[in-house]
Amino acid sequence: MPYPLFALTNLLAKKGRSLGLAAAVAFAVMIVVTLAVTSSGLEQSATAIISIAKANFAVAQKGVSDLLSSTIDASERARIAKVPGVARAVGVLVATEKINAENPVFIEIGINPSDLGPFGVTILAGHAFAADATNQCMLGWRAAANLGLHVGSKFAADGTVNTVTGIYSTGNSFGDSAAMFPLTAEQAYNRLPGIVTLVFVKVAHGYSVSAVERAIDYRLPELTTIRTASQFGRADRTLVYLKAAVTGSTILAVLIGAIIVGNTMLLSVFERTRELGLLRAVGWTRRRIVGLILTESLVLAVVGAGIGVGLSFAVSAILENVPALVGILHAHFTQGAFWRALLTALGMTIIGGLYPATRAALLAPLKALSYE
Amino acid sequence: MSDPSSSPVTAPPSRQAQSGARFAVELCDVVKRYPGGVVALDHIDLAIAEHEFVAVTGPSGCGKSTLLHLVAALDHPTSGTVRVNGQDLTTMRDLSSFRRHEVGLVFQLHNLLPRLSVLANIEVVMYGTHRSSRARRERALELLSEVELSGLEYRLPTQLSGGERQRVAIARALANEPRLLLADEPTGNLDPDAAQRIMDLFEKVNADGMTVLLVTHDEKLATRADRIVKMKAGRLAG
Repeated sequence: MPYPLFALTNLLAKKGRSLGLAAAVAFAVMIVVTLAVTSSGLEQSATAIISIAKANFAVAQKGVSDLLSSTIDASERARIAKVPGVARAVGVLVATEKINAENPVFIEIGINPSDLGPFGVTILAGHAFAADATNQCMLGWRAAANLGLHVGSKFAADGTVNTVTGIYSTGNSFGDSAAMFPLTAEQAYNRLPGIVTLVFVKVAHGYSVSAVERAIDYRLPELTTIRTASQFGRADRTLVYLKAAVTGSTILAVLIGAIIVGNTMLLSVFERTRELGLLRAVGWTRRRIVGLILTESLVLAVVGAGIGVGLSFAVSAILENVPALVGILHAHFTQGAFWRALLTALGMTIIGGLYPATRAALLAPLKALSYE
Repeated sequence: MSDPSSSPVTAPPSRQAQSGARFAVELCDVVKRYPGGVVALDHIDLAIAEHEFVAVTGPSGCGKSTLLHLVAALDHPTSGTVRVNGQDLTTMRDLSSFRRHEVGLVFQLHNLLPRLSVLANIEVVMYGTHRSSRARRERALELLSEVELSGLEYRLPTQLSGGERQRVAIARALANEPRLLLADEPTGNLDPDAAQRIMDLFEKVNADGMTVLLVTHDEKLATRADRIVKMKAGRLAG
């Protein structure tokens, strides 16, 4: 019998207990993975906004609670535009609005029509809105399909009924699921005259993007540049706190799980005292006894991680369809989430299994053999 | 309690074994005192030659199992030295390796793992040796044939008779080809016929060259050994 099969036999001897233990591991893995994939989904949604534009990087207010609270006034925007190497600085005001139950956080982007081209917008049907219009908008093609609207349709948003003048594409699913309004109309509706949320910067040919970023960071210390998702936390603290909460929850789940696993494995070791004593008596080393208990833990970890990930898929799907969370919560399963699942399960079972394994290894063979 | 100052009785190897043979087991002035002051072994000197079949007999509590436990490296003497196959167990660090390679153990209670098949029970002592999974299986099958249990490979211990279980335990003890077989009351729970079959097996492995140290309170069975060592109150009685 191969050695791993022997470990499996030990687990199968107490099917109920092993299943219970695997279920505990699976439950912890499910919580950790669901938190991770939903926070990853939130991060993806939040960071998607900086990748809409055809720009080298975005500039936002530093350290705001969330990116949509960023405010950059006209003078700051002008200072950005004057930084050497900045070829173009497109300011946009980004806001959200509940359109209906299916679209509780519909994205609205205020932008000057003259910036649509540089921003990377391609008009698929109709035409752009007028710069000074107060009741015109364009819809991303995904949003139009989702809402069942087309050029000429009426779209109630921003406190008024707007005529859809065009359908656009940005090549970015986040941007294509939004609506665009004249910047002045969007600023007026949000009572933020002259304010933009983000400035998208295109660097002039021959300049180093990093050098221009550093120059803006230096000259406008109240603002920060964002090029990658990992830099997102510079502006948006919410995601930083969310990630910290997920990490904290993971550690907590591992510790609680380890206690459950340890307690159960210890019971198993006590019950198998005589058997472990026999194995020591016939020449099993302490290391091999530790290996046996940890192999059993490892099997539980792998089974628990597998079940946990499956449960996480199911729970995430359910959460995404809870009316209060529709459109807000998106599970984003990444390779990292699977590694996190495996590491959580391994952490729980190895930390939890170490003490029982050590206890088992330290059994005196003769005493263990006479154990009743 | 015995008087530790009394002179020890020495049990030399049999005349047949003395003729130029090396010792498989040597106990020199061995004392085993348990916490509370109970003296289980009182200045024991015992030598067992290689290939010898020795039976240790005596009443319950006379220290014969304690003696066997010391030889099996399952316990340490309070004083004195225990040498097995030329190795001093009192100074040895890796007793696990010694138990795995040098001795085979058979207990009164067979101590088979109840959820493992007969075959797996034999294989389990070969984990950690140089044998591959296939070689372990082949060795286990070979041993089952030797103890005349071929065909029962996949039975569970609960599906075997007492004698069959003890034969599986003997096969397990022989798995790593030890030079010394130690048996502690192996026939204690068996009927006379089954006990005789177990003794047949011990004679067979002894004839194949293995040293056998048998602890039994059954003096009739003990007569099948080359030599009988009697114990009484922690001492050798002649």
